[in-house]
Amino acid sequence: MGEKKENKSNPIARRRFLRICGSVVAVGSILAVTGVLARKGLSTDATHFWQIDPEKCTHCGRCETDCVLPLSAVKCIHASRVCGYCDLCGGFYRSNVKDLNTAAENMMCPTGAITRKFVEDPYFEYTINEDLCNGCGKCVKGCNSFGNGSLYLQVKQDLCTNCNECQIAKVCPADAISRVPYTMAYNLKDE
Amino acid sequence: MLSTLTTAQNRFPKPDFESGYQYPDHYYPVPNETLWTAIDILLLAGMMSVVAWAVLKQRTRKPIIWISILSVAYFGFFRSGCVCSIGAIQNVSLALADPGYVMPVSVLLFFILPILFAFLFGRVFCAGVCPLGALQELVNVKNYRLSKALTTVLGMIPWIYLILAILYAVTRSSFIICRFDPFIGIFRLGGDLSFLIFGVLLLIAAIFTGRPFCRFLCPYGALLSLFSRVSVRKPTLTSHSCINCELCHNACPVDAIMPPYGNQVKESRAEGVRRLIKYFIILPVMIVAGAFLMRAASDELSRGHKDVRLYDRVVEQETNPQDILSIDLEAFYGQGGTIEALTEKVEKIQNDFKQYGTVAGALIGLVIGITLIGLSVKRTRKTYDINEANLCKLCPLLQLLSAE
Repeated sequence: MGEKKENKSNPIARRRFLRICGSVVAVGSILAVTGVLARKGLSTDATHFWQIDPEKCTHCGRCETDCVLPLSAVKCIHASRVCGYCDLCGGFYRSNVKDLNTAAENMMCPTGAITRKFVEDPYFEYTINEDLCNGCGKCVKGCNSFGNGSLYLQVKQDLCTNCNECQIAKVCPADAISRVPYTMAYNLKDE
Repeated sequence: MLSTLTTAQNRFPKPDFESGYQYPDHYYPVPNETLWTAIDILLLAGMMSVVAWAVLKQRTRKPIIWISILSVAYFGFFRSGCVCSIGAIQNVSLALADPGYVMPVSVLLFFILPILFAFLFGRVFCAGVCPLGALQELVNVKNYRLSKALTTVLGMIPWIYLILAILYAVTRSSFIICRFDPFIGIFRLGGDLSFLIFGVLLLIAAIFTGRPFCRFLCPYGALLSLFSRVSVRKPTLTSHSCINCELCHNACPVDAIMPPYGNQVKESRAEGVRRLIKYFIILPVMIVAGAFLMRAASDELSRGHKDVRLYDRVVEQETNPQDILSIDLEAFYGQGGTIEALTEKVEKIQNDFKQYGTVAGALIGLVIGITLIGLSVKRTRKTYDINEANLCKLCPLLQLLSAE
């Protein structure tokens, strides 16, 4: 009888012991992970933003196709203080066009997002309509090949959904996209 | 042409404007994420507290439904599902493995708070705070029970997924949890079509059976189950003693209630010892086999890393030169990349994969071994009981039982 009773109480005691061990391991691992990461130093910035380094960017066109948004959060940005205000703009006209006029077939931008305004002879001011821009980078390629490189691609932070892993960064051939802190949310060329 | 791509600056001088032209001013807004993440964290902790209070103190489910709706609306649709606790596994494991990786405090809180709550009160995060679980919960109508064989096999997937996700995160290859998230497309109302279809199929399945994603895919749920197993406060089926009425077992949508083993004769001690020895032989064999297999497959697995895929292309280009380069190769050569530097990089990555892959394989072997052992363990339970490791999400059943 006595032996049977002991047998009955044994599993309970054993289970309780195992539970206490488990609790200790659980608390220990929670504290260890928090401690190690806190000691390593966490960023006080709440979020890190994805941004393109224009020096590395090869304007391959994947920003247009690989962003999770229907219309990419990457837009072409124009640094006016770098721009040459040329009439014959490599970002505005396609190369080897027959007539230099603003007919659609001569335009580099597939969505008609680049407009220009005459300033004074021979200078033209170029403006990008960001609502139309799809981030394809065709104008950026043209401007970098034939001009000053004042057109460049940037992630618009008000549009970007800040995915934990940027889909464009995953396919970027130049590794130009990385996380940056709040103070460096844009890599502006004219500053 | 290639060299001009990177060094195209100031071909034309700055124009001298005579008409008093002023440069236009641009303003590029940066959203105030600090405020929003603070609200996120407060809501996360607040909602988990409400769930814990409702389940453990009030024994009612009504608040949880409102929490689910709030979670889907806010964390899901409004905050578009990033960063979530499930994905934070990868940030945390990368931060632990790579000293150079800096992680925001908010991500750590997203990761650690649900674990802490799981340890204190059980899986209250899964109950309704997680937008992915809440979405499935809200569409659930009917609960068809799946066979034990099926749930056991599918139940191993979250563990394997978790191990692989950590493997790919620590090798800086890819965040596969984020990449294969089936519901993110629904929350963002767009995205990759194949994952959208997968998400919709999972939701359709969720109509007929309780939470398929949480039970058979979610890696964070696997992690939480470790902590809920030893939680301080446990939910109880009934405040009275169990009368084995089977109501709870029949109602449970996620197989979280274990039936009693009726009329089972306890095995003899010698037989038990023999069985135990068998387990101790089988388990190490599974672990070693897993480690060996994953080590052998590590080169294949390393192809998940971008640089390894690039290396394959560069080697192909070097052995069989083409005139027209692909975008990746153009960028590689344009930046002055050499095959030697890349080889060194790739060897390091493959080495990482070999090391971490062996550990991952051992862990996968362990998971499979423990699952198999769990199937054959003989227990002497006499009443219905909640299996905390399973996804007990503290459902309407509690209401039913506390109404008595």
